[in-house]
Order: sequence, then C-alpha cells, then structure tokens
Amino acid sequence: MELNPFRRRNSTPRMERLRALSLFAALSSGELAIVDGLLHEREFLKDEVIFDEGEDGQAIYIVLDGSVLICRQGESDAVLATVAAGGFFGDLALLENLPRAAQARAAENARLAVFFRDDFLGLMETHGIIASKISLQLARNMGRRLRDATLGDAAARRHL
Amino acid sequence: MTSAARSGSGPVVWAAIIAVTCLLLLVFHKILWLVVPCMLALIIYYALYPATQYLVYHGMSRDAAAAANIVVFLLIVAVAAAIAVPQIASHIVDIQASVEPYIAGGLRLTQHSLQALERSWSVLANAHLAEAARQRFDASGGSAAEHVETIVTGVAAWTPSLLLAPFLAFYFLKDGQRFTRFLARAVPNAFFERTLYLMHEVDRTLRAYFIGLMKLTVLDTFTLAFGLWLLGLPNPFALGLICAVLAWIPYVGSILGGAIVVLVAATDFPDQPSVAYLSVALFIVARLLDDFLYMPLTIGKSLHMHPLVTVLMIFAGGAVAGIPGLMLVLPVLGVVAVCGETIGKVVTDPRLTARHRHARLLRQRQASADLAS
Repeated sequence: MELNPFRRRNSTPRMERLRALSLFAALSSGELAIVDGLLHEREFLKDEVIFDEGEDGQAIYIVLDGSVLICRQGESDAVLATVAAGGFFGDLALLENLPRAAQARAAENARLAVFFRDDFLGLMETHGIIASKISLQLARNMGRRLRDATLGDAAARRHL
Repeated sequence: MTSAARSGSGPVVWAAIIAVTCLLLLVFHKILWLVVPCMLALIIYYALYPATQYLVYHGMSRDAAAAANIVVFLLIVAVAAAIAVPQIASHIVDIQASVEPYIAGGLRLTQHSLQALERSWSVLANAHLAEAARQRFDASGGSAAEHVETIVTGVAAWTPSLLLAPFLAFYFLKDGQRFTRFLARAVPNAFFERTLYLMHEVDRTLRAYFIGLMKLTVLDTFTLAFGLWLLGLPNPFALGLICAVLAWIPYVGSILGGAIVVLVAATDFPDQPSVAYLSVALFIVARLLDDFLYMPLTIGKSLHMHPLVTVLMIFAGGAVAGIPGLMLVLPVLGVVAVCGETIGKVVTDPRLTARHRHARLLRQRQASADLAS
C-alpha cells in the first residue's frame, strides 16, 4: 500500500474534461485541482440570457456543453459570434473591470463553467504560475480574435 | 461592483443593515458558546488556508491537506501549552502574593492622585473624594484567591466549547469551497453573478477583518513593548501582548490594558509616580497610533465604513450585547452591510427580475413540452 500523501493524482473524467478546455490546456494535474475548486457549474436553457450588454462583468464563462450566442442587446438576430463547447467568453471581464460589451444568450441548452473574476485575481496573488498560464491562453485567444477582425477569416487561415 | 457603487445604498437599506446587525448581536449574545468557537475557527481557517492550498497544489487531496494542517496546528498549541501551563501553575500558587501588591500599588496611586486633586480643587476637597474612593475600594475588595477561583471555573466551563474551534476549522478548510458551491447552486441564473460577488465580498470582509486584527495585535504588541521597555517596566513584551489582546474589545479593552500597566508601574516604581504618568502618556500615544495609522492600514481597510457609523455601532453593540457585542459588532456589521447593499441592489434591479421571470417561463415550457394535447 502506497502511503505517499503527495502521490500522482488519478485523472478523473472531470479533470480530463477540464484539461480538454483550451483555457486550461497548459495546466498540470495539481494546478487543475486548484482551478477546479474555484469553478461553478450552471445550466442554461435555449434562449435564456446569460448576461446583458452594459452589465457589470464579474466572471468568465466556459462552455462545457451546448453553444452560446454573443449578440447586441435587443438584436438577437445580429449574431456577433457563436461559442461552441470547449470555448469561452466574457474574458474581457477577467482582464478589465468594464461593463459587458455584448449580450450572451444560450443558443441551445447549455452547461457552463463559471470562473469568477476575483478568484482569478486571487490566483495571481497565491498561484502566480497558474494565473500566468491562464493569462497566456487568454492572450492567445485575444490575438486570434484580433487577427480575425483585422485580416478576416480567410487571411487568418493562411497565417498572413 | 466597485466600492463607489456600494456607497449608493439608500437610507432604507442602511436602516435595515443597522437593525439586522443589532438583532444578530442580540442572538449571538444568547449563543456565545457557539459564536466564540466559530470566530476562533474562522481565524484558524484564514491563517491555515494558504498552507492548505500549498499542499493541494503539491498533490495532496484537500481532505488530507486540511487534516495535516489542523494536526500541525494542534501540535503547536499542545507544545505551547506544555511549556506555558507548568509556569502558570507555579505562579498561581503565589498569585496572592504577586497580584495583591499590584492592586495595592494601584490604589495607592489613585489615592495620591485624588488627594493632589483635592489640594488644588476645593470643590473636590469638600466632597471628600479620596476618602469616598478608599471606602468604595475597601468594600469591593476580596482576596485574589477568590478571583483566581472565578477565572479557573470560567476557563473550565469554556474549554469544551473552545475545543470546537479546531474541529470547525478543519471542516471549513476541507469543505469550505464545496459549501460555497452548494450555496451558489441554490441561486437562480439571473442573480448568480451578483450572488458570487456577494459571497466573495463576505469572505473578503471576514478575511481582511481577522487578518487585520492579527496584524494590529502584532503592531500594538511591539509598539507597547518598545515603549514599556524604554520606561524600564518588567516583562514589557508580555505586558504589551496582554494589552494588545485586550484591545480586541473596542474602547473598554484599551482602558483595561492601560489600567494594568499603570498598576504595574505604580507598584514597581512606588517612589516615581512619573513612571505611571509616562505609562498613561504611552497608552495615549499608542491609542493615537492605533486610530490614525495602524487601524486604517489593517482593519479599517476591510470594512469601507464611515467612521461615525463605526463608532455609533460600537456603542450600540455594547448596549445591545455588552462586552461580546463590543467585540462582535464590527465584523458582523461589515458582513451585514455587504449582504444588505448587494441584496438591495439585486431585488430592486428590474432587468434581473425580468430575466429571472423569463428563465422560469422557459423552464415551465420545457417541463410541460410533451403535455400539450
């Protein structure tokens, strides 16, 4: 019988699922365990509003199942983006304490993980490595969005 | 939600906050046997939380990390008790001899001060103030052994309750996050972000208050110990620590701490009343440092409260629940203020209420989708 309390963690299905998310792809098992303790899970029905444009942004949302529409307030037909399972949104709230730039609405029944802004800021104080790994993924995501916005999808695909 | 936004709460919300705080203090006063271990458990929890997170980060399960930390904490307490208890026991034997001279010294200083005042003020001389005070002290005095008996009985009565503290702290460390998520699950989606903010603010307020209190105690101890050492008083560190811990009780604790030091000074330096007066001056300086430097740097930061409200609530806490009310009023007020302001904003936000109604409608439709004929 192994008595080492600092044993290698057995990877649970939940841990594997978290590791598959792009935001947490670079985290080790120990780091994932810390982050897992901070995540909240919520279920939204199709058409349910997740947050409104102009609302105080307090958290980042990670799509575990289903998909989410990002649109202008009151213009749910004018879709700005669709976030599928594995993606995340509301990340500007994590970096800046600014109002939400758009409305988020469940495109179909969705299960989301919620990462609270102050928990992320707390990680910066207590676990700088975890916070920097997540920040790097956020920066990559921002860069991708910026490239898509300025060069267009086709050019971005050609890595111009 | 920023602190600037928090200041927008109206008079109705603040009246409710003050009323709920007073009501809670009244209830807490009745269940002190549970409130005191809970407060101690929170202090232990906030002190051990970083170490628990460290162990989890290095591969330990949360349960094992919480258990390891509590075991180490209990070992440290046991070792400290093993060192301190024999010394205290040996002092208790001759406490009558050691305490009574200090009380006599204090009475002598009071008598001399009152007689000096009577010589200067004929009104006081006519009132025979010094004689009246001497008679009052004689009537209220008893042997030190009687007081020791009361203290020992009190400690024995509180011990089982205090043993709850590490037990509670273990479960706070082990299940705190699960409990937070359990509470959050009960909140409808529309109010979820605001509720997360509320729970975080409650945690932040309590953490800042208790950690601030510990920092304030350390700062007070070293400031007083340095001052008492300069004055040449015996055991300056122990005296400083006792006074800093007594200062946990607003106003009353500081006066009691000051009185103890003045008693020691008056007894150990009976021919030098200036030492006693300098001790009083030291306490006034320490009090000013506390109010204008240490408090704003430590506890003051945690509550974001107007000083007038704080002072009035301290008096209200004392009136409602006595000494426990004085000690509990600030953390309770801090938490109730955060809850009251956030709940006030949530329930009066028409958009959030509309979103909640819409979500309920969607759930009803989903639940009855296959029931339509």
